[in-house]
Amino acid sequence: MSNILLQIIIYTVIWGSIYLLISLGFSLICGVLRIFHLGYGVVFVLAAYVTWFFMEDAHLGLVPSLLLMFLVQCAFALVIFYKGVFQRYLEEEEVLLTVSILIFLAVAHLANYLYPVTAGVSIPSTIIDDVLSVGSVTIAYQMILAALAGILVTAIYVLWFMKTRVGLIIRAISQNLPAALLMGANVNRMYYLAMILSVIPPTICMIMIAPFWGVDPFMGASLLMTAMLISILGGLGNLKGSIVASYLIGFIHASVSFIFVSRFMGLAALIVTLVVMIYRRGGIFAGETLW
Amino acid sequence: MMKKIHLFTGMVLVFLLITTGVWAAAPDTTGPIKIGFMGNMSAPFSLSAKAAAAMAVDEINQAGGINGRQIKLIVEDTKGEIPKAVEIYKKLVMNDKVLAVFIGEKVEMGVAGMEIGAELFPEYPHIFFSTIGSGDDIWHRVRDNYKKYRFGFQTYYAISTNYLKILAPDNIDCFKNQIKIKKVAILYEDMEWTKPLRQGIPNVSPSLAAIYKEKGVNVVYETTTSLDQKMFNPIFEEIAKSGADFIDCAVGYIDQPAFVKQWAQSSARNIPVFIWGGLAGMPPIWKMTEGKVNGVMVGSSLVRVAITPKTIPFMDNLVKNYKVGPIFGSHTTYDTIYGFKKAIEKAGGTGSIDNLIKQLEQVEEVAVLGTIGWNAKYHYNLPPPKYVTPIVQWQDGEMKVIYPLKYKMTDYKAPKDLRK
Repeated sequence: MSNILLQIIIYTVIWGSIYLLISLGFSLICGVLRIFHLGYGVVFVLAAYVTWFFMEDAHLGLVPSLLLMFLVQCAFALVIFYKGVFQRYLEEEEVLLTVSILIFLAVAHLANYLYPVTAGVSIPSTIIDDVLSVGSVTIAYQMILAALAGILVTAIYVLWFMKTRVGLIIRAISQNLPAALLMGANVNRMYYLAMILSVIPPTICMIMIAPFWGVDPFMGASLLMTAMLISILGGLGNLKGSIVASYLIGFIHASVSFIFVSRFMGLAALIVTLVVMIYRRGGIFAGETLW
Repeated sequence: MMKKIHLFTGMVLVFLLITTGVWAAAPDTTGPIKIGFMGNMSAPFSLSAKAAAAMAVDEINQAGGINGRQIKLIVEDTKGEIPKAVEIYKKLVMNDKVLAVFIGEKVEMGVAGMEIGAELFPEYPHIFFSTIGSGDDIWHRVRDNYKKYRFGFQTYYAISTNYLKILAPDNIDCFKNQIKIKKVAILYEDMEWTKPLRQGIPNVSPSLAAIYKEKGVNVVYETTTSLDQKMFNPIFEEIAKSGADFIDCAVGYIDQPAFVKQWAQSSARNIPVFIWGGLAGMPPIWKMTEGKVNGVMVGSSLVRVAITPKTIPFMDNLVKNYKVGPIFGSHTTYDTIYGFKKAIEKAGGTGSIDNLIKQLEQVEEVAVLGTIGWNAKYHYNLPPPKYVTPIVQWQDGEMKVIYPLKYKMTDYKAPKDLRK
C-alpha cells in the first residue's frame, strides 16, 4: 500500500509539472489575448522538426539548432499567428479558430511529408542518461529534470507577472482591456510579448521530454488536447487555475494508473473535468484574469 | 416471317446471354497483362510496396514477361480514404480492365476493395490481392462464402489462427531455450487483431496466456494498452513488481519509440522485452530512441539475412534503384506478383479466371522471406516455416537474428549486458 502511495505521489509531481509546461503557453494566450488558440500544437511540431532540420540538413550542432529553432518559433508566433491570423480575424472568431487549426494541420502534414517516420527524427537532448531509484520506484533523471523545468519556468513566470512593471501591465490588460488602454498601456506591444512568452514553455517542454516521449509529426494534437483540458479545468486563461489543474490531472492519471489500469487514465481525467464543469462552470478558478 | 423469327431468336439469345452472365467480359488473352496497384501514397508502407511492385514488374518484363506478354502496372492513390479506394477499384476493373488488383494498404481498404470486387466479379472477372492488411477479415470472407469471394487472396502472414497455433508456441520455445524464461508479463494493444490472442479462438486455440501456461511458463501480469497512450511507466512499474523475467508485447501500432524509451529508463529496464512487430523492427528506431532500443527483441522482416537467394538482392535493389527502404508489406507485394506470374504460367494463360484461381491455390514460389503461396481453401498465405519472420535482437545498432536457428546470427544477450 505504501508502495502504491509513493508511486502516486512521485508521478503526480512529475506528470503534473510536465503538464504545466505543456499548458502554460495556452493559458497565457487565453488570459491575455482572450483567444482559444487551436493552433497551439504547432509549437511542439516546430520545436522537434525545425531542430531536426538544422541538425540533419544544415549540419549544425544541438545548441545552435535549438537557438535557431527558437527564433523560428518566435517568428512563426508573431508573423503567422499574431499578424497573419489574430490581428486580421479578431472580430471573426470562427474564422480565427478555423484558420489557426488549419495552419497547425498544414505544418504537421508538411513535417510528415518532409520527414516521414522512416526518417528517424529525434532530439538528442538527454541531460543525464541514468535512472534514480526512490524506494521501489525507478524514474529517469530526464523525467525529473523535465518536471523541475516545469516548476522553474512556472515560478519565473508567476514572479515576473507579480513583481515586474511589464507583468503588471499584462495583468491589467487581462483584467480590463479598456481600462488598461485608458491608462496608456501599449497593448499591441504587450500582445507581441505575450505571444513570445507563450512559445517558451512548450518549446522547453518538447526539448525536455523528447528523450522519453515519442516524436512524430502529429504529436501536437495530443499535446494540444492536454493543454486545452488543463486550461478548461483550471479556468480559461488563469495561471493559478492551470497550476492546480495540472497537478490534479497528474494525480488522476497516477492514481488511475497505479490503482486501476493505465488505459483509463485519459478517460478518468475527462470525467473529472466534466463533473467540475457541471458544478463549477468556468473551471476551478473561473474568472477573467491571468492570476 | 422468317426474318421476324430470326430477329426474335436473336433478341432472346442476347437477353439470355446478358441475364446468365455468360456474356461477361472475359480477361484479355493477348497484349500486355494489366495489373493495378492501389495504396495510400502518403504512407511509407504503401510507397515501399508500390516500389516493390514496380521492381517485380520491371524484372519480369526484362526477363521476357509472362508467357511472352509484358506486364503493365497501373498505380493509383487512395489517399487512405475508403470511398476513394472503392472508386479507384471500380476504375481499375471496369475502365482499365486489369486482370488483378493489388491493395497495398491497411486491411480496411482491402475489405472495401473485396466487397466492390465481389459485386464486379461476375461481369468483370479478376483477381484481388491484399498485400499489407493483416487480421482475419479477408480470409474469413473466403471461408464463409467461397463462391462469392474466391477471387480474393491475402498475402500478409498475420492471421490469428497462425499466430496462436504456429507463431506463439514457436516463439515461446525460443524464449524458453535462449532466455530461460519462467514468468512472463503480457502486454496487448487494444486492437481487433489482439482479441484472439487475449481471448483465444473457440474450438481452435486457447489464448496466448493459456499457451504460455501449457508450455510451463507462469503468466504473472497481463494488461492492455490503448493506442493513444504516451506514458507507459506505470505498466513497467507493475511488471517489475510482478517478478516477471520476460515481457511479451503483442503490439504493432502503439507509440513504440515512447514505449521503448520509457522501458529503457524504468524499473523493468533489465527485463528482456519482445515486441511482435512494427516500428521497433525497422532501422530508424535506433536513431529515434537514441539507441535505447538496444536489447529489444522484435519480429522483423527487414534484417539482412539471406533467407532465400532473393532476400538480399530484393533489399539492395529496392534501395538502389527505387529509392525506398524495404518496409513491411513491400516484400509481400513483390512476392505476390511472382506468385501470380507462376500461377498464370501454370494455368497456361489468362483465358479462364477460375483456372487461374485454382493455380493460385496450388502455387508455390521462392520468395524474399521463404515461399509464397496461398492456403487452397481459405486463401491466406502460407504460414511459418514456409514464410519466415525472424526474431531479431537490437545489439549495438544492428538487428541480429536470434531465431529461427537456421538463420541465427548471434546469441541472445541480456539488455543490461548490452548497455555496459
